[in-house]
Amino acid sequence: MSLHRINLKINGVAEQVDVASNTTLLQMLRDRLALTGTKNGCAAGECGACTVMLNGEPINSCMILAVECEGADLVTIEGLAKDGQLDVVQQAIIDQGGVQCGFCTPGILISARALLNRNPDPTDYEIRDALVGNLCRCTGYVPIIAAVKQAAQMQKQAAQ
Amino acid sequence: MEKSDSQKIPQPVGENVQRIDALEKVTGSAVFGDDIQFGPGLLHARIKRSPHPHALIKKIDGSKALALPGVKAVVTGEGFDGYLGLYLQDRHIFATDRVRYVGDPVAGVAATTEEIAEKALDLIDVEYEVLPAVFDPEYGATPEAPLLHPDLKNYAVANFIFPKADTNISNHFRIRKGDTSSAWAQCAAVVEHKYRVPHIQHVPIETHVAVARVDDRGKITLWGSSQSPFAQRNLIAKALHISQSDVEVIAPYVGGGFGCKAGVSMEALAVAIAMKVRGRPVKLLLTREEEFHTAFVRQGVVAYFKMGCDKDGKILAMENRYYWDGGAYTEYGVNITRASGYSGTGPYRVPNVSVDSFCVYTNHPVGGPMRGFGMPEMHAGLEQCVDELAHAIKMDPAEIRLRNCVRGGDIILTGMKMHPTGLSECIQKAREAIHWDEVHPASGPNKRRGKGMAIMWKAPAMSPNAGSSAWVEMNEDGTATVGLGGQEIGQGTFTVMAQIAAGTLGIPFENVRIARPVDTDYSPYEWQTVASRLTWSMGNAVMAAAKDAKRQILEVVAEAWKENIDDLDIVNGNVISYKTEESISLQDITIYGMPRENFNGWIGGPIVGRGKFMPTYVTGLDPETGQGERSVVHYTTGAQAVEVEVDLETGRVEVIKAVAAFDVGKAINPKLVKAQMEGGLVQGLSTAFFETLRLKDGVVINPSFVDYRIATSSDAPADIESIIVETAQDDGPFGARGIGEHSLVPTVPAVANAIYAATGVRVGAPPFSAEKVFLALMEAGLVKGV
Amino acid sequence: MHSAHPGLPEFDYVKPASLAEASAFLKAHVGEARPFMGGTDTFVRMRDGFWKEKYLVDVKHLEGMQDITYDPAAGLVIGAAVNMNRVVASPLVKEHYPLLAEAAHSVASYQLRTRATIVGNICNASPAGDTTGACIAFDARLKVHGVDGFRFEPLQTFFKGPGKTVLQPGDIVVSIHFPPAPRGAQGKYIKLGRNAIGDLSIVGITVLGYPDASSSSGYRFKIALASVAPTPFVPAPAEALLAEKTITPALLEEAAQAAMDACKPIDDVRSSAVYRKAMVRNLTHKALVDVWGRLSAAAR
Repeated sequence: MSLHRINLKINGVAEQVDVASNTTLLQMLRDRLALTGTKNGCAAGECGACTVMLNGEPINSCMILAVECEGADLVTIEGLAKDGQLDVVQQAIIDQGGVQCGFCTPGILISARALLNRNPDPTDYEIRDALVGNLCRCTGYVPIIAAVKQAAQMQKQAAQ
Repeated sequence: MEKSDSQKIPQPVGENVQRIDALEKVTGSAVFGDDIQFGPGLLHARIKRSPHPHALIKKIDGSKALALPGVKAVVTGEGFDGYLGLYLQDRHIFATDRVRYVGDPVAGVAATTEEIAEKALDLIDVEYEVLPAVFDPEYGATPEAPLLHPDLKNYAVANFIFPKADTNISNHFRIRKGDTSSAWAQCAAVVEHKYRVPHIQHVPIETHVAVARVDDRGKITLWGSSQSPFAQRNLIAKALHISQSDVEVIAPYVGGGFGCKAGVSMEALAVAIAMKVRGRPVKLLLTREEEFHTAFVRQGVVAYFKMGCDKDGKILAMENRYYWDGGAYTEYGVNITRASGYSGTGPYRVPNVSVDSFCVYTNHPVGGPMRGFGMPEMHAGLEQCVDELAHAIKMDPAEIRLRNCVRGGDIILTGMKMHPTGLSECIQKAREAIHWDEVHPASGPNKRRGKGMAIMWKAPAMSPNAGSSAWVEMNEDGTATVGLGGQEIGQGTFTVMAQIAAGTLGIPFENVRIARPVDTDYSPYEWQTVASRLTWSMGNAVMAAAKDAKRQILEVVAEAWKENIDDLDIVNGNVISYKTEESISLQDITIYGMPRENFNGWIGGPIVGRGKFMPTYVTGLDPETGQGERSVVHYTTGAQAVEVEVDLETGRVEVIKAVAAFDVGKAINPKLVKAQMEGGLVQGLSTAFFETLRLKDGVVINPSFVDYRIATSSDAPADIESIIVETAQDDGPFGARGIGEHSLVPTVPAVANAIYAATGVRVGAPPFSAEKVFLALMEAGLVKGV
Repeated sequence: MHSAHPGLPEFDYVKPASLAEASAFLKAHVGEARPFMGGTDTFVRMRDGFWKEKYLVDVKHLEGMQDITYDPAAGLVIGAAVNMNRVVASPLVKEHYPLLAEAAHSVASYQLRTRATIVGNICNASPAGDTTGACIAFDARLKVHGVDGFRFEPLQTFFKGPGKTVLQPGDIVVSIHFPPAPRGAQGKYIKLGRNAIGDLSIVGITVLGYPDASSSSGYRFKIALASVAPTPFVPAPAEALLAEKTITPALLEEAAQAAMDACKPIDDVRSSAVYRKAMVRNLTHKALVDVWGRLSAAAR
């Protein structure tokens, strides 16, 4: 099996990694770069715990090969807060009590950030639709949906 | 200065403080089992499993697998003759002579990569002699069924579990109270039904993971996603015939438990494999598919109910029988059987009761504890029957519950006197919040609206003497570190314990830290993180430890200040004297003590408070009648009500509004209590609408998220109201008792009763998938068939 | 017990520089190589051990693969590697083929749609594909690059069975071509899954209707059903009824009944055949009523 040298940017930092063909982006992040905030919940694109932002779009990192990420700009949960300042989605999910066991939280926050990037003022339905690929077994989603709404408000206020 | 009232609830108890683990969980820095870094020495394990539900193992040959480059060990049951089991020791670490479910582990491989280990599995040859299997608990309980555990009579068993030798019945719990046979004649209505509640699974988003390392002198270290570090230490040590103190279990954050990470499931496999590659850590991480195939299940049950009431709605008798599909082994099944026996009438005052609860070995996956511990399964049918009784005598279903629900002072089915409980208040509040008496129009001509209610009770189901302990250690800066052995599995227990410690000590919440991860070598003993018992039991231990630390501090200051200790207190991190109004910060004095007058020596030293709690009052029950003075420590009670809309075109049921009201004694953190009520409700709805672990000839046929659906963000009701009722628990910290599991117990029957109210059709056992509801409507002639 | 591997099995990732190179490679490695787009099916089937390819050939970067273009005369072209989210968000698709956007939006989750492609789903010939019905209704064709160069394959004759298509070794679908949408067309996709959003379809109902002077009713309806047959299913008798008879509420019911009678779904882990049949009738009716409502409103 061949190895591939790839260059990409992760959370603003340039990285060079040698990966095997069958290494998924998720495996590279967790096993090679020790970026373990991104979680493995099913390895089948169903649970969303491994969601990262690839060139601005959320994606299941278990569903893409590392070698396909040559030249990519990647944001993981570790890169969501900037200079010690929480992203509004992080602050809002704390405020609303949308964190319990915390295992789905990284993926949910990436999905939420991506939603607010493309739609700064989502409706309740649009929030649910955007999070349907992020399974959570603890919270019942209600506080998470409320958190995305709060984050949209915070983002709007900060922009004013 | 006024001396504070000792009865007053101190800050921050009762306040919505921010979760202590929130920041690390939103930044990705919280460490879960699979996140721990072990370096290049780490080996990966995979497990060879039985493809047969029931077979004898004739031969296992691992020689080819061992020859594969990268493979470091191939391990079978040879040399592991000990038994695992919490209440009934019936399971070897690896199956040795016989496999009893599809997925039963027969061998394990350790290799340098997961992929090599996986490849090696194909090279292990196992010869089986297939045997007839048992897939139905009722059949399994009959003499005709093949015997799955011929050695049952020789297994070690707890003194409150009653296996029947030479049968598949691993426990039979009986209640006989009053005289049911003569009661039926006095009933104005009698309802009789059978429900077959399917297997479901816990589905934590984090699958099971364990890493084990065995050092040169044989000391075992086990890292894992665990609700039960101490129980695992105990059970694994027993199975290996070694000392408990030679097993160290380290338990980082748990990515969802709901019971499946309690006791021992796959962890012992990692340990056994690690014993063959000493010095090297061995990781076993279940794939999602493997999780569905082999992790604990919420066992299925076949439940029979017969109940009757008089014309005024007074319930006169119940005769209930439960056949639990315990699966291949009964890590917890036998005690679920017991719990559904001693709580077998549901939360009702019933004068004449007969309950038989059987745990039956089958060739299905192993029954584990799941949120609710038998209560959701039991209430699913029971609360529909009570609803039917109400309709049969033309009484409001809420009214029949108010008339019969258990109240403080009642003698319940086991003969125990019920403690004060706010169940009737929960019913009233749920009724008001759902606008029970209002009729809301449906949103379209093909829709039908209806409201349903169900109530519940549940006691912590555990060993009668399950204990907790804690320490509170003061630091140089006046902060306190709390040592505890209960696990943060998402419920917020670390936060609640910090609140109890802060309130008891008299220091700000921000000044409390929790010592983590839980490590059995360093953390104080805790039975297990199960049974919704931590707030109450571990809370008592933490409170006692904080009190002990406080007493030690005040003794030092009293001596230094030459004051009476009763005049001193700790308020907001300072020791104060009510008498002299003198005040001193805890900073420094809790480590270095205080100087005597004129520097004539020192008083005190490092402060470490210790505390424990163990219920000592639970009595045994008569094996024939189930009667005894105190069957359980206490009951948490509550009610849920839902309004649904049924789509006649598809059978899909939408929950318009859901209401939950539970008596938690005292909410230490109301926001976290409501989070349990809300999250549990949606999990309950998930089981009501979507979930079944589909077993065909013992094989799980939906072992992935593609076909084992759980509720998504699109399925949570838009309108949920959670109501806290507080009737203090006499031995709970600040009056608190548990709420973690209770919140999903009544959900399924509440939905079923609402569907009935909307359509006049009873849908029976869950899940109430759109398909099931539509086909029921079709059968009733309400919609056009095909 | 069948259990998926923890990770992907070994294979070599191949990234050819041109379509010609890609087709030649695939042809030279029959049974060993497979082109892949988003991998949402490919990776799952490889983890499951059902597909054991030695080479996965990435073709997403090749010419035309990432383009969406529209021409009023020629219609819409969507490159094979254009992901579903781009289809949903494309103003061109929204304006001219809203049915396609609606169907694409119903697929799985947002983050999976970052990978999933319309063409990929068509090539895997899943009976549950949500977007295939719209592609059939719009008479889409696939542009295929094989060892002998380019050709077009109409969708009507593309599917040979579950997972089976007319594609030959060396073939790579490079784009899907939609003729201009019929004037005045109205469409509806109704997906019935177990969850409210996401999930695979228990049934998926695509209806496209438009004025057509050549038919007796003055309208033509295209209907495609997902998850009721081994391949996406067109209930021809229902379409015929709606073309031949004057459209009335009773005819819409009759057509829905005809759609149900025409299909022979099976029992599987997702649903019983009986329920599927009833849902084909009820939801085809619902979709027809919706589409007809808009068509008749436009005619007034």
